[in-house]
Amino acid sequence: MKSVIHLVSIFNALLLMLGSKAYAQQKAEPWSKKQLIATETLASRIEQGETENLFILSIGPDAVIKGSVDIGPTMEAENLDKLKHYLKDVPKNKEVVIYCGCCPFERCPNIRPAFTVLKDLGFKNGKLLDIPQNIKVNWLDNDYPMNE
Amino acid sequence: MAMIIMSVGLYAQDETVKIGQQAPEISLPTPNGDTISLSAFKGKLVLIDFWATWCAPCVKEQPELKTLYDTYNGGTKGDRFEIFGVSLDKNRDSWVKAIERFSIDWVQVSDLLFWRSPVAKDYGIQELPFNVLVGEQGEIVAINLHGGELEDFIATHLNNAYN
Repeated sequence: MKSVIHLVSIFNALLLMLGSKAYAQQKAEPWSKKQLIATETLASRIEQGETENLFILSIGPDAVIKGSVDIGPTMEAENLDKLKHYLKDVPKNKEVVIYCGCCPFERCPNIRPAFTVLKDLGFKNGKLLDIPQNIKVNWLDNDYPMNE
Repeated sequence: MAMIIMSVGLYAQDETVKIGQQAPEISLPTPNGDTISLSAFKGKLVLIDFWATWCAPCVKEQPELKTLYDTYNGGTKGDRFEIFGVSLDKNRDSWVKAIERFSIDWVQVSDLLFWRSPVAKDYGIQELPFNVLVGEQGEIVAINLHGGELEDFIATHLNNAYN
């Protein structure tokens, strides 16, 4: 009996996984999985000084990441214009990483408008920093490189 | 399953405030520069609302807090309830504008240090929204209640404390 219950629960878990995958696919994001960059990857590149061809832009509450430029929350039209203006002078082949970190992606009002601008302007190497919870937990608490 | 238990364990370790302990002191400036301390409200039930204009659910909660404030602060209920708004904003303009937009008339303080504010550490805050209720003796009586749960707690506490 126990093993039957076990099997049923595994089956249910599989169903749930499939269901959530289908849901994720329905809700198309402007970025693909390949366009996400992990916090540890970015942190180690900054630590090793591999940033000559890299532009890091904060499109959220604060530019805490070392070397990043403070654009401001791009849910505001004014800051979205600021982002477009900034990107005007950046060659399209450069790697541009944007980040917010206010909260998990599903709740963030800033990353979608900003990433769409990046795409529309033709940045082939545009990336979004993958911050699962927020900039505190996933960056500051890890003592990754910070702006003073 | 083991992973779930492990991550709950890790999360629990991060919580540095507990019900029953004295609320860590907070002394921070208001928008006009006066420093106000949490301990100035000893003798009242105080809701410390940790928020920021960059936190959408926090902003959404402000009208609800206003209703609570209007109901339980002053009037026939007496002067037994306060809200102490602590913002983790970085941008002063956004903070001040939001206070005006929501006609917030309770105390608002911030060092505008975002997550680097020492209060975030003192209270072990991992994400916003977050709040703490502090009892008349300065002790923590509830952590992170919202919506109906928050209002019920305040109503019951004030009833028990004064009837």
